[in-house]
Amino acid sequence: MTTKNEPGKTYLMQGNEAIVRGALEGGIHFASSYPGSPSSQVLGMLGHIAEDMGFRAEWSTNETTALQSCMGASFANGRSICIVKQNGLLVQSDAIHCGALGGIKGGLVIISSDDPDSHSSTNEFDSRHLAISANIPMLEPASVQETKDMIPYALQLSEELEQMVLVRVTTRICHGRGGVELGELPEKRPFTPIGEWDRMVGINWLHGFLLEKLEWAREAFEKSEFNHYNGLDKAKKLIITGGTGMKYTLDAIEDIGIEGEVGVLSLGTLWPLPEKLILERLKDAEKVLVVEEVDPFLEEHIAAIAGKNKVNIEIYGRNDIIPQVGELNPEVVTKALKEFVGIQDAKASDAVCGGEGCPAAEGLTIPERELTFCAGCPHRASFFILKQALRREGNHGVVMGDIGCYTMAGQRAGQYGYHFMSCMGSGISAAEGLGQLTNYGFNQPVVSLCGDSTFFHTVVPGLINAKMNDANILHIVLDNSATAMTGFQPHPGTGETAMGHETEKISIKALCESLGCRVWTADPFDVEETTQLITDLIRTKGLKVLILQQPCATLAAKTRAKKKVWVDTDKCRGENCGCDRYCSRVWGCPGNIWDFEKNCAAIDEVVCVGCGVCAKICPAGAIQVEEPEDAEGKGGSK
Amino acid sequence: MLSILELERKVVKTNLCTNCGACQGMCPYWKSYEGRTFVDYECDRAEGRCKYFCPRMPADLDSLMKKFFEEKDITSELGPVKGLYLTRAADPQIRAKAQHGGTMTALVELALAEGFIDAAVLSKAEGTLDPEGQLITDPADVRACSGSSFQIPPTMAVLNEALKENEYKKIGVVGTPCKTLSAYKMMAKPFEDNDNNADNIGMVFGLFCGWGLDWKGMEAFGDAGHADILPSKFHRMDLDDRQVDLDDVLPLVRENCNYCYDMTAEFADLSVGGARSSEGWDTDKGWNQLIVRSEKGQKLVELAREKGILEFREFGDDSAKAAAMDKLKKASASKKSKAVQALIEKDGTLGYLEPSKEIFAEYIK
Repeated sequence: MTTKNEPGKTYLMQGNEAIVRGALEGGIHFASSYPGSPSSQVLGMLGHIAEDMGFRAEWSTNETTALQSCMGASFANGRSICIVKQNGLLVQSDAIHCGALGGIKGGLVIISSDDPDSHSSTNEFDSRHLAISANIPMLEPASVQETKDMIPYALQLSEELEQMVLVRVTTRICHGRGGVELGELPEKRPFTPIGEWDRMVGINWLHGFLLEKLEWAREAFEKSEFNHYNGLDKAKKLIITGGTGMKYTLDAIEDIGIEGEVGVLSLGTLWPLPEKLILERLKDAEKVLVVEEVDPFLEEHIAAIAGKNKVNIEIYGRNDIIPQVGELNPEVVTKALKEFVGIQDAKASDAVCGGEGCPAAEGLTIPERELTFCAGCPHRASFFILKQALRREGNHGVVMGDIGCYTMAGQRAGQYGYHFMSCMGSGISAAEGLGQLTNYGFNQPVVSLCGDSTFFHTVVPGLINAKMNDANILHIVLDNSATAMTGFQPHPGTGETAMGHETEKISIKALCESLGCRVWTADPFDVEETTQLITDLIRTKGLKVLILQQPCATLAAKTRAKKKVWVDTDKCRGENCGCDRYCSRVWGCPGNIWDFEKNCAAIDEVVCVGCGVCAKICPAGAIQVEEPEDAEGKGGSK
Repeated sequence: MLSILELERKVVKTNLCTNCGACQGMCPYWKSYEGRTFVDYECDRAEGRCKYFCPRMPADLDSLMKKFFEEKDITSELGPVKGLYLTRAADPQIRAKAQHGGTMTALVELALAEGFIDAAVLSKAEGTLDPEGQLITDPADVRACSGSSFQIPPTMAVLNEALKENEYKKIGVVGTPCKTLSAYKMMAKPFEDNDNNADNIGMVFGLFCGWGLDWKGMEAFGDAGHADILPSKFHRMDLDDRQVDLDDVLPLVRENCNYCYDMTAEFADLSVGGARSSEGWDTDKGWNQLIVRSEKGQKLVELAREKGILEFREFGDDSAKAAAMDKLKKASASKKSKAVQALIEKDGTLGYLEPSKEIFAEYIK
């Protein structure tokens, strides 16, 4: 991402880079974030350039602290952006509502990246509803260029309205690439002293003023350059799009060849909606198709606008001809458009991605693959031994999961290792409630889990709650010394800031002990010992905290000398009674593969990171581990 | 059905499992913890040794017995019998710690010393708690395993591991009736090409057994160096010097023991239990009764007599011997009747004894 001041020059950029560039062109003083796909990279990039560009970038403990840090910076008329994903936006929703009521000073833009189809999430929540609830303006770009352009615009608007502004982006914008024509980098604006009687106070007597600001925004949006119209003027068949819907729609119109039949109104200002602009187009139309990501947000508000203004019109979209669930894609939009304009397609019902009518899928049978842990991942060992320990109990126990890489333990990778999974920080609190029932006749051991980053994010209050209420649970912190799921962003336990500065590590163990918790630490790679420890702990009454420490395999592979692991084919029992492909079928590390020619286990040397745990669990002792010969044997460089 | 599921459904979930360990020690799937057998992870083989080795899976026990023992010796109540003796270890040090007369300890020591076997799989309990199977090769280590914990550790898992290693070619195994039956199921070799070296089982030593006790329940009684159940008229269990009312112990009897038909470990080269002759407890105390079932068993007992390892007490006259035999048969037949009854009450059939129902017909009330 370029930090050069080259107005008019065009660069190929990823959407996340465009956000960074937009922030620079908006002259930010402060940026904060908690990582979450698809926008995780944004603050990482900002952190790298912050020193040179003279602003502060930081990873926050959670999204609420992130937003409130921005509000602090805004108080001195600093401009700031806060980057979150859809869940993060919900985490900070109280802060948004209260902050919106109090208003802001320097421009404050929240960028919420949604993940339609939940590629790297547990859900596909739609961020847009929160703008209505909090009464704040919202924008959504339709291209990478618009993404860059919207950030300085949103910062400017935010300042004019003295209100925070939400920019919603989605995975295809964040991870897609496009040409971006640069704008000018502004001079850094000085801060404004906070006067004795200056206030940022969220209190209900500002409720009316809050709504008034929205109306000012609506007026601005009626003339906004982020709303476009393409195609047939006064079209009877009107398509209204939001975000990525525009490009899918324009491509599909060209593919089907209906350029002369339809008009496309693409909206970039999503809340409050520019009613006059929309009505102007509705009055000529007989029917409308709304193409947008996830919920029928625009669809229902456009129906409301039509209804209020007595416009009699048919409205289609996510409620009918576009599937209610999942991401838009060319096949889905093409199929919907054909249905909308009344084109009969022999294979219309199959023309979805992966179906018979999808040319790319013809003749291909791609095996279904579940998400899995990386080779050598300590979570695989942790869930393997947790399951063993719980199976020792006649009633097998209950495991309350949480959000992180280890969420994948709900599948085969983690031996279907948990019974409960909700939002970040929920595991320990749900476990606390369930564990209390053991005092009233419920008779199963209760275990909760979290990762180290999640621990700091929202587990600490849950742990304090568990301690205060004398919970009867075992809480396991899967400490891999990384925010691994989103790309190794620093967290309070890593001793590093977003700008690469050292900071004092916060010890999870010391923190738990300071609360008066009994704390144990163990290594998940010590399979037998740790299984026994977990067995003993789940039989111990009260609140127990076990920290399973083993660095993330991806980190470890960069720093540790790699051991050579291989299979002694004479010893391998393979599919016979006595093994039944234990390493590749049950243990399931991607490094443990099956040699179909030799009918024997094998190691994928490219994938294997040399952790050697499979050698400990091989029933035949057939997997051999060789220590690296010397320092030269060390694996890749950091 | 997958082998592992069949075994789990037919034996483990129905509380027929004895925790003998016959399914364990060969693969990573079957485990045992504190007296309970369970599956860690699912094996997806249709045919596995586990279900064929399990003493509680249905099998034709009549054919199995005739395969390994002389038909002329086989009795309905006691299985094969070549001879019945009253014996005790000649060494008073053995008798001091062992169960009853210490006959088993003395015979296993002798079998190891004389090369009848080259290793022995025994159950060892430090006191009465947490017994575990052990593989020993030095006759001097046998005594540490004497005495009974009245629980059923998964000893056969240790045998399976030892067989798998294939280091010892004549392994002796001492066990309760469920365990000795599984040893013969192993020797019957259901998979000729994957038999876990079952030919390396050298001798099988059976222990008389009334029932085993629950692992966790025993903890409530605390540890004891020595445990003994007295003859029924006393109605008590002795834990060292402590006398425990049998009514307090009986609730700890494992459910699966109610379905056991075998009191005297009928599948064995020889079987040993507490003496219960017609002369009464004062005389029998400190003595064993010993059933010899095979030629190999006979040879070992004769050697023990020659070497003065065992002391033999005569029954008195022939009628006294017949009375002792009769008493033993009645006790054994009573266990068979109870087991058959319990199985029928459970699901209306003879369950795992169904394929052998001809030999159990006389015990159905």
